[in-house]
Amino acid sequence: MRGPRLRIAAGPAALVLILLLAAAAPWLAPRPPDLQEDVAGARYLAPFTRAVALQIDADHVRIGTSPRPTAGGWEYTRAGRRERVDATDLPEPPSPRFYLLGTDGLGWDLASRLLYGARHSVGIAALGALLALLLGVGVGSAAGLAGGWADALLMRGVDVLRSVPRLLVYLLCATLFRPSTVLLVLVLGATTWTELARLVRIEMLALRRSDLASAPRASGASPARILGRHLLPQIAPLLVVSAALRFADTVLLESALSLLGLGSPPPAVSLGGLIASGREALAEAWWIVAWPGALISLLVVALRSTASRLVGASDPPSLA
Amino acid sequence: MRRLVAILPLALGVLTVVFLLLEVLPGRPFGLEPGTGVRPGAADDLRRIFAADRPLVERYLDWLRGFLTGDLGISFAYRRPVGALISEAAGNTVTLAGLALAMQFLLGTAAGTAAAAADRKSIDRLITGTSSVLYSVPSFWLAVVLVSLVSVRLGWLPVSQMRSLDAAELGPWPRLVDVLRHLVLPCLSLALPAAAGIALYVRDEMRATLARGFIQAARARGTPRAGVVLRHGLAGVLRPVITLFGLAVPGLLGGSVVIEVLFAWPGMGRLAYQAVLSRDEPLVLGCTWVASLAVIASSLAADLLAAAVDPRVREATP
Repeated sequence: MRGPRLRIAAGPAALVLILLLAAAAPWLAPRPPDLQEDVAGARYLAPFTRAVALQIDADHVRIGTSPRPTAGGWEYTRAGRRERVDATDLPEPPSPRFYLLGTDGLGWDLASRLLYGARHSVGIAALGALLALLLGVGVGSAAGLAGGWADALLMRGVDVLRSVPRLLVYLLCATLFRPSTVLLVLVLGATTWTELARLVRIEMLALRRSDLASAPRASGASPARILGRHLLPQIAPLLVVSAALRFADTVLLESALSLLGLGSPPPAVSLGGLIASGREALAEAWWIVAWPGALISLLVVALRSTASRLVGASDPPSLA
Repeated sequence: MRRLVAILPLALGVLTVVFLLLEVLPGRPFGLEPGTGVRPGAADDLRRIFAADRPLVERYLDWLRGFLTGDLGISFAYRRPVGALISEAAGNTVTLAGLALAMQFLLGTAAGTAAAAADRKSIDRLITGTSSVLYSVPSFWLAVVLVSLVSVRLGWLPVSQMRSLDAAELGPWPRLVDVLRHLVLPCLSLALPAAAGIALYVRDEMRATLARGFIQAARARGTPRAGVVLRHGLAGVLRPVITLFGLAVPGLLGGSVVIEVLFAWPGMGRLAYQAVLSRDEPLVLGCTWVASLAVIASSLAADLLAAAVDPRVREATP
């Protein structure tokens, strides 16, 4: 009995957890994502490293690992060398630093950057998926309800857009405008809605001849009211599932674009950008690339399993 | 036949959309800041030589005529015919993407069938679980991890490029082996996540098929289990898998842009990426044109294949 019930909850639970972590990044992050206390001392520290921050003077901090108190001072390892400092030189006692996920080549704390990156990437993907949902429902129901030449025109347009490879559209737009967060959301939304438009159109074609549409029409309801009040609620489950799958695809696309250098420009932190930043240093610091990759995969698994829970266990995963 | 006719306006529409997208670009070809030693009027001359200074409609009609006659123009950056550049790169992309496509369908169908037909639930769980995770791993992340493990740490396979530096001096067989060694990692990065998706899909379809009456009838006649799965089960799964094939090609072309850039594979994706970065208008148009044709052709091929294996589809579309 325990097994299946546990699996039912795992996907949505992981999803909610990731979304909460991402939303609460500013409060949860141990440090600001771009705080450089001591680049030489804090670079490439492995996950679970305990260190101390020693305030040498007003604007100089030393980060040292494996600290040990000595007679009248402290001894610590910094950049591979053992160093020591007299207690009399320190205006304050050393404060502890704990790097849960390690640090990168610039001494940035990866736990903080991962949280902020998740917040950024999840936000962009959610907005992009929302835009795709609006466009897909708008165009799909317009085509399905209008019928005739308007339907034909809209759907041929959809066919054309579906045939242009998506990544080329991104590449074009990235040269067309300066890469920015707004552009990224617009492009992600504007290139992923066509599949949904086709789905919605087919549903609307079936619904518009049914009593669900003809009864309110007979009582004088406007087309907008018929659509909003009577027809869209009928396909709400379809929309929720599509939105979740769209969301998952958009997370993957956003990180791919950031990896190619076409995502949000720095100082914005994104999951794909984190992977890109750790690519060169993979031999000495595997953790920079590992965490964001694992988080993206976990988020996508959680979204897809939540979606398939919503559809029912029998439906196949969408490959769109 | 109707499908074939419907392709023409589709292809024309794609070409127009891409042309218009490029037209709204704020910069003009050769519009970069001139460096030292460049004559002030040089950019204007270049535009005249490459016929980029004519009015919009005239250039548009010229493009269309060129695409119909197979003349794709001259690349601004390479100073070579676009058609020649693309046909060199397209061969490399077809090698990579074709191998990945074959690998993902073979591997995915095999794993999905094994999971659905497994006697023990643990095998099903193992395959389904692994596939769910692998399906959600970004292919570029897989690429980065594979390169660091297999190439950098272990040194078994080359990091990037398509040929070794000394490839020209090798004999025909060592040269083929050299290319194959360069192919392994990009191909795996591209194919594994997609194969996992196909495995999940095939597993669900196969389970539904195996629960149907004709399967039980075949079992009741005494056909061995493996024979039932391979003959009747796979036949039932074939058509949905063919539909997936049409959907897989656009994803593969998009994914190969990232993978080709990461592995410095001299294919279409990397060519298009560099063309966009250098504002090479004819080359971008040419790449988009060829990629769109591939997408349209693959969905047509999937439809025709589906009709060939399933008489119901054949009757529905006259």
